[in-house]
Parts: sequence; structure tokens; C-alpha cells
Amino acid sequence: MARGGNNPFTWALIAISVIGLVLLTLPTAALLVRAFEARDVLDQAQSRQTLRDALALSLTTSLVSLIFVVLVGTPIAYVLARGQFPGVRVLDALVDLPIILPPAVAGIALLSAFGRRGLLGESFDRLGINIAFSTTAVVMAQTFVSAPFFIRTARAGFSRIDRSLEDAGAVLGAGPARVFWRITLPLSRASLVAGAVLAWARALGEFGATIMFAGNREGVTQTMPLAIYERFGAGDLQTAVVLSAILLASSIAFLVAVRQLGDTGTTR
Amino acid sequence: MRGSILRVAMGLVLALGSLFALPLMPSTLAAQIACDPAAPAAASGPLHATPAAIAETPFPEDGGTLTVFAAASLTDAFNEFATGLETTSPNLDIVIQTAGSQTLVTQLVEGATADVLATANTSTMDTATESGVVTGDPVTFTGNRLVLLTPQDNPAGIESINDLASDDILLVIANEWVPAGNYARVAFCAWGASGSAPEGFVDMVAANIASEEEDVRNVLAKVQLGEADAGVVYASDATASALAGSPLNVIEFPDAVPASASYPIAAIEGGQTELANAFIAAILSPEGQAILASYGFER
Repeated sequence: MARGGNNPFTWALIAISVIGLVLLTLPTAALLVRAFEARDVLDQAQSRQTLRDALALSLTTSLVSLIFVVLVGTPIAYVLARGQFPGVRVLDALVDLPIILPPAVAGIALLSAFGRRGLLGESFDRLGINIAFSTTAVVMAQTFVSAPFFIRTARAGFSRIDRSLEDAGAVLGAGPARVFWRITLPLSRASLVAGAVLAWARALGEFGATIMFAGNREGVTQTMPLAIYERFGAGDLQTAVVLSAILLASSIAFLVAVRQLGDTGTTR
Repeated sequence: MRGSILRVAMGLVLALGSLFALPLMPSTLAAQIACDPAAPAAASGPLHATPAAIAETPFPEDGGTLTVFAAASLTDAFNEFATGLETTSPNLDIVIQTAGSQTLVTQLVEGATADVLATANTSTMDTATESGVVTGDPVTFTGNRLVLLTPQDNPAGIESINDLASDDILLVIANEWVPAGNYARVAFCAWGASGSAPEGFVDMVAANIASEEEDVRNVLAKVQLGEADAGVVYASDATASALAGSPLNVIEFPDAVPASASYPIAAIEGGQTELANAFIAAILSPEGQAILASYGFER
């Protein structure tokens, strides 16, 4: 601020930032305050059961979908970053599509493809595979909506790599696979981790497509967001608030852990 | 080099394995229907006489915006009803907001503002009265009847309520906090205790519940999509107009089963009482009742 001094622009900047920060952090703070007041609901066996089931399901499904997103998303991102074939830009836009889809549209899209009357679902149904109302449906919904967040970030990371480093590796006799594992991946590590965190957060918060495509059943498809919504609808705001705070706390814990991981990675 | 390929391969196997293992994970809490032997009949509260304040209330000349919180099952009937009122009173603007009855009451307790509350059962309205969100005595303005719905091709071959206890049926009902879900559970319990049901009927039906939906319209959608083998909805949800070109099979509950629902309506505390009472008077009028009847509601 030394150079800005006391001019109106600086003050306006500060004022808007302060107001904005208050507006952005107030809801979370209020939630935590309310959850602290309502923490006694966890004395009830029913609330504890709902929490245990939903939290376990949320963590398992979001991590499984993250594994899928990384395994499938990394090659896609690499192809999109390096590919020089016609239509690569169209492909790029297509991959981003789920980001702009409203959750209800994502739910209907998934039903259209994998529902019992859906494009592929009908064949699945004949084979005796039923995805509807199963935990698999939850993972599919999460994977569908979260993959673009990883692919976007990873693609940008791959594009930023200095190609001459990869070329040097190739000149020194490394095959394309070795170049990818030993040069490309380590150099884009930060982007890959950032993309994975974004995708995981999106999967953990996934609600709309899940409730439409997978339904709501405790222990099977009722993830934390669904449990929170159900408790709210049941008029049990106390439990809803406490579940929300716990979901928030677990997300923060995960983000901090990943941040630590990322730091040790870059300073190594 | 070989190590990293090995690691990736292991990751793949793990990921695929866990995906397929997920549906096999036993549910820690099998869905249960807790039957209350003390209250086998569906809660159908007393039909309050129409209070004098409501009996003859015309809409005020200068109109205004009236917000109605209505049970999800009322969606289509109330929308048509409101459109009609807006045509006869051009200054009037009616906003119909629908959700599961219990959600509406939660929203009102949390400070949502509206003028009229119409719920699909009396116990939800009682909660609203006890919380002080409604003013005056609620009036029962219509009723409904539970039915069983299956997709037209009826993949699970469900012909009667007893078939709901067969193995591997995807049954979808509303959450137990939603009136339609509560009525459905009461109906299953009554049938289970009636002597005409197979042994262990209620537990077998409970085990078949694939999803508990947030309101009755979502139950309808799951059956329409063919995702569910059967769903429990109101007769008003199963009328031709509600199904809009996708006919479904309607199976009536046996007479021994309490399957009737009563709908109370009340003005909301702190809302525009005059407008609210005019709306309630209009829905109680022969014209209002005729529209409800055309959507399958019955008193």
C-alpha cells in the first residue's frame, strides 16, 4: 500500500474486499456456530447411524470415482494437450460439457444412457445388470460430473511443460512411455494434484445427479449431501446442521493433507 | 519403469475391484418399517368446520401477490386453480411453491414467508400449528387415496399388494417424513396385520425399498422412467393428465387398508391474511372443488 497511499481507489478496494470476504465466510461461520450448539443430536443412535453410513459412503464413493477420473482422465488430458488431429478442439469442448450442465440435466443425461430404459441401460437390464439405485450409480454420477475438473486442470498442466525437456529425454534414448513417466508426469505433478483435488471436491458435494440417478437409500446411495437434504426435509434441522459441519470438516482435513503432500512433492 | 507400470496396473485392478464390490457391500442398515400397533389407521384428523372469516371472502379489488406453499401432490391442480383465479382477478398474482409437506413446514419454521400453507396430512399441519407458523384453525379442503403404480410393461409382474413382498423388486416410496411415505407405511403395516398378507410381509416389503424419495412426485418420476418396478403414490398422481402420455398401471389397495389422505389448508402467521382467506374460500367453493376433483382428489 506504500505506493497507493490514501487515494479513494485503494480505500474502495479494501472496503469491497472486506465486505466480500464477510459475505463469503459468514455462512460457513454461522453453520459452524449452529452445529456447535446442536452437537447433542449425535447422542441419538439414529443420527449417529445416519452419519456413519453417509460419511462412509461419501468417502468411499468419492475416492473410487477419483481413482477412475485420474486413471481415465490423465490419458485424455494428455491427448487433448498434445493431440494434433482435426477435431481436437471440439473434443476439448465436449469433455468440459458436464461442468456447465445443471445437476438436474446431468441426472437426466445419466438416466438416458444408463437407466433401465436408457441407451445402454436396456442392454444391461437384459444381461441382468441393474445399475439403478445401487452404489455403482452413485460412483457413476460422481465420475461423470467431476472428471472434467481434473481433465481441464491436467490438460493445462501438460500444455505448460517445456517440450524441449521431453525432446531431450527422447534424444537420450528414452521411449515415449519412459518420457511420459519420468519427465512429463513429474513436471505436471502440481497440476495433476490440483485437478484431482477439484474433482474430488466436486464428487463429494455431488447431489442433484445422484438423487435423480441413484435414488436415496440409507447405506446404499445416501451420501452426505443427500442425508443432509433428507434431514432438512424431515424437519430435523439439528442433525442436518451437524452433518453439514462434519462434511465441511472432513473436506478441510483432506484439502490440508493434500496441500502437505503437494508441498513435499515440489520441494523434493 | 517396470515398477510404475506395476503400480498403475495394481491401481486399476483395485479401482475396478472396488467398484464391483461396492454394490455387494451389505447395507449397514436394512430399510425398516416400524409399525405402530396403537395407531393402525392413517392419521385423518377431524374435518374442521369452515370458519366464518373464510366462508365468504372475495379477493380484494387491488389484488396483490399471494404465495402458496403446497404439498407436492397438489402441484398440477393448484397451478390450474391459480391460473383461473389470476384470469378472473387480473390484479392478483399467485405464486405456488411445492415440496414435500414436511419440507414446507421446515422452511416456514426457518423463516420463509408465504401466505397459505396446504399440506397432505394433518400431522404435518399440526406441527405447523404448534410451531406457530399458521394462524387460525386449519380446514380440511380435500382428500386423496393411495394407489400402487407400476410401469406399463410391468417388468416385475406386480398385480397386487402381496406381490410387493416378492424377491428382488425395486419398490420406491416417499420418505417416511413425507405424508405420502407415511401413509404408505401405515398401509403396509395394516395389510401385514390383516391376516390376508403373507408371513413377514412388512419386513419383506421393507427390504425391497430401493429408494426413499423427497416427495411423492419423485416417486412418480421413478416409476415413469421405468427405474422402479413399483411405487406408492396418490390417485391424483395417477390420473391421465398427471401421467401426460405415459400410461402406467394403477393397482388399488384392498379395502381393508387405510389408504385415504386428508389435506388441511391454513393461513400463515404474518402473511396477508385477507388474501389468504380469499384463496382458502375459493378452493372450498364448488369451482375450486371441481378442479381438485378433475385431478383425482376426493373428499
